[in-house]
Amino acid sequence: MFRYKQLLRHGARARHTWLALALWLGVGWGAMEAHAAPGETGANGNWMLEATNHLGQWIWDTNTFDKQTCRFWKPFEIPPKAVVKKAILHLTVDNGYVLFLDGNEIGRGSDWRSVTEYNISLLLKPGRHILAVEGFNDRLEAGLIFGLHIQFANREPMDVVSDDSWLVVPATVPKWMAKKQARPDWHGAIMEGPVHHHPWEIWPIGLTTGPALQPVVVHFWQTGWFQLALLSLLLLTLAACFRLWTQLAMQARSQKLLQAERIRIARDIHDDLGAQLTQLLLLCEVGQREQPKDSPAQIQFNQLCVLARELSCGMDEVVWTVNARRDTLRDFTSYVCKFATVFLDATPIRCRLDVAPDLPDAMFDLPLRRNLFLAVKEALNNAAKYSSATELFVRIARAGETLVVTVEDNGQGFDPDKLTGERNGMANMAHRMGEINGRCEVMSAPGAGCRAIFTVPLENLSTRGWFNWHRRPAATALEIS
Amino acid sequence: MKTNTSNPAKPTVKVVLVEDKPAVREIWCKLINSLPGFACVQTCASGEEALRLIPETNPDVVLMDIFLPRMSGIECTTRLKLQLPKLQILMLTAAEDDELVFMALEAGADGFLLKRTTPEDLRAAMVDVLGGGAPMTSEIARRVVESFRRSNKQKSTVRLTTREEEVLILLSKGYSNKEIASQLSIGTETVGSHLKHIYEKMHVRSRAEAVARYITSKA
Repeated sequence: MFRYKQLLRHGARARHTWLALALWLGVGWGAMEAHAAPGETGANGNWMLEATNHLGQWIWDTNTFDKQTCRFWKPFEIPPKAVVKKAILHLTVDNGYVLFLDGNEIGRGSDWRSVTEYNISLLLKPGRHILAVEGFNDRLEAGLIFGLHIQFANREPMDVVSDDSWLVVPATVPKWMAKKQARPDWHGAIMEGPVHHHPWEIWPIGLTTGPALQPVVVHFWQTGWFQLALLSLLLLTLAACFRLWTQLAMQARSQKLLQAERIRIARDIHDDLGAQLTQLLLLCEVGQREQPKDSPAQIQFNQLCVLARELSCGMDEVVWTVNARRDTLRDFTSYVCKFATVFLDATPIRCRLDVAPDLPDAMFDLPLRRNLFLAVKEALNNAAKYSSATELFVRIARAGETLVVTVEDNGQGFDPDKLTGERNGMANMAHRMGEINGRCEVMSAPGAGCRAIFTVPLENLSTRGWFNWHRRPAATALEIS
Repeated sequence: MKTNTSNPAKPTVKVVLVEDKPAVREIWCKLINSLPGFACVQTCASGEEALRLIPETNPDVVLMDIFLPRMSGIECTTRLKLQLPKLQILMLTAAEDDELVFMALEAGADGFLLKRTTPEDLRAAMVDVLGGGAPMTSEIARRVVESFRRSNKQKSTVRLTTREEEVLILLSKGYSNKEIASQLSIGTETVGSHLKHIYEKMHVRSRAEAVARYITSKA
C-alpha cells in the first residue's frame, strides 16, 4: 500500500478518468462532484455512511506482491420482471482499478483513499450480469472493497458485495471481463477483513460521485450491418464512377479517333481525287482550246469543263463538311459567305454580307454546321429561284448564347399561308434546324421581300474550351484546307 | 475565246509556273500559252528550283502552287519577294483556305487563284496584278481588316488609311470593285491600287513583325 500520495492530484485524476468514461459512453462530459471531507479526520458524515453501508469485505488474491495486477470476476442475476429503481455501486481498490460491467469498461480509479460511487441504475436489466474489476497494487498491502445496492420497484432490495465468492481470473485469459461463465481453474478470492480493517482504519477520506451512467444506445448507423451496407454502397458507387470514367475516357478516345479519321478522309479526298479532278478540268480546258470554236468537239469539251468544275465544287463541299479541322464558327462563317457570293454570282442578285466582328472563337460541330449550312443553302436557292430580288443579305451575328444567321432578300415575297408544294424547301429548313435544336423563322409578305432567320445555340464556350482543348490539332501552314 | 489584241506591240507577258506534279505542270503550261499575250517561259518543280531559276529568267508573273514538297509555296514567295520586289506572284490553291491564303498574302503574294478557275479568270487576274491592281475576296478583306485592327492594338507602325479601310469594309460586305468605286466616288483602278497598297502593307508588316520577333528572340 502507498499511503502518502499527494492529495492535490486527486481532483485532476478523477476528472481524467471520468472524461474517458464519459467519452466512451457517449454521454458527454458530466461534472464530477467530489465530496471531500474538510480534513483527514472528519470521516463521519452522511456521505460516509452511505458510502460504507453496503460494502462487503476487503478481498484480494491468495498472495500479494508489489506491482501486482489482480482480476476479479463476479456474476449476479437480476430476477426476471424485476424493475430496477436504483442501483448504486461503491468501489475502491488499493491502489487502483478498472471497472467493467458486462464486458464494458464503466470506470477507473487510482486514489484508493476515497470511495467512488457509480449510479448504474440505467444499466441493469433483468438477467445475468458480470462484474469485473482489474485491480492493481503498487506496493505492500492490497485489497478490493465493493458494494452494489440495488433497489427494485417491485421487490426487496438486493446487495452484491465483495466476498470470497468473487473469482480471481488468471492473467492468461483473453477478454476475461466479457466472459459469461467461470472456468474451473479460476479460484476464489480471500477475504482480508471488514471495512475498517487494518491498514484501512481511517478509510475512506472522501467520496466521488458522478451522474447516472447511460446505457450505450447503438443507433442503426452504428451497427455493423449498416456500416457494411454503407461501405458496399460506397464501393459500388466508386466502381460505377470508375466504369463511367473509363467509358468517358474511351468515348473521348474514339471521338479523337473520329476527328483524326475525318481529317484523314478529307485529306485523302482532297489530295487524290481533288488533284486528279483539277487535272481533268485543266485537260478539258486545254482540249477545248485546241478545237475550232463552236465545233461539236469544242462544245462537248466545254460541257465537260462545266461538269468537272461543278464536281470540283461539290467535292470541296464534301471535304469542308468532313474535315474536322473546319469545326469552328470562324470556318463556318467564311464558308457560308464564300458560298453565298459564288452561288449568287451566277444570278442577277447582288450578294451582301454582314458578319458581326465580335463572333466568338467557338467550336462548331459537324451536325451543327452541316445542317445550318444546308438550311442557308436552301434559303439561297429559294431566293434565286422565286424571289426576283436584286439584292440579298447574309447576316451572321451572335445574340447571347445563340448564333443568328439571316438570309434576307428584297424580292417580291410571298404569302406564307399560301405556300405551294413547290416550296417544301421550307419544311426542309425547319427539319434541319430541328435536328440541331435550332429555330427557323421565315417572314414574308407579297411585295415585301423575304427574311429567313436561323437561330442555333452556341454551346457554352468556356466548358467547351476546357473539354475540347485537345480536339483541334494546331493547324500548320502546309496542311490541307 | 475573245482575243485581246488591242495592242499588238505590247510585249508578251513572261509567266513562270511553280508546280511539283509534272503532268499538271504540262497542262498549265499549255493553258497559259493558249492565252494570247502570255507565254509560259519556264516551269519549276520545286521551290528550291524556283529560287535558283527565276532571278535569271526575270519573268513578269509567277504562278505558284501553295503546296510544294519541302519548301512551301509560301516560303518560296517570301524569298523571291526579297530578291525581286517587283515580281508579281499569284498563288494557286486547290481549295479556298482563308488561313493559308492569308499567310501567302502576308508573305508577299499579290493574289491567289483557285486551280479550277476558268482560263478567262486566270488571264484577268494576271492582267490585274500587272496593271497595278489586286483582286481580293470579301473573306480575305474581312480578315485583313481584323488583322490590322489587332496589330494596331499592338502599336504596329504599319497602319491602313481611312480610305483603305473603307474599301476593305465594303469589300468584306460583298461589294464589287465597281460598286465600291461608285460608292466612294473614285475610279475602279483606284480601288485596285488601294488593294495593291494594302497587300504591300501586309507584306511590310509581316516582315517588320518577323524582324521584331527575330530581335526579341535574340535579346
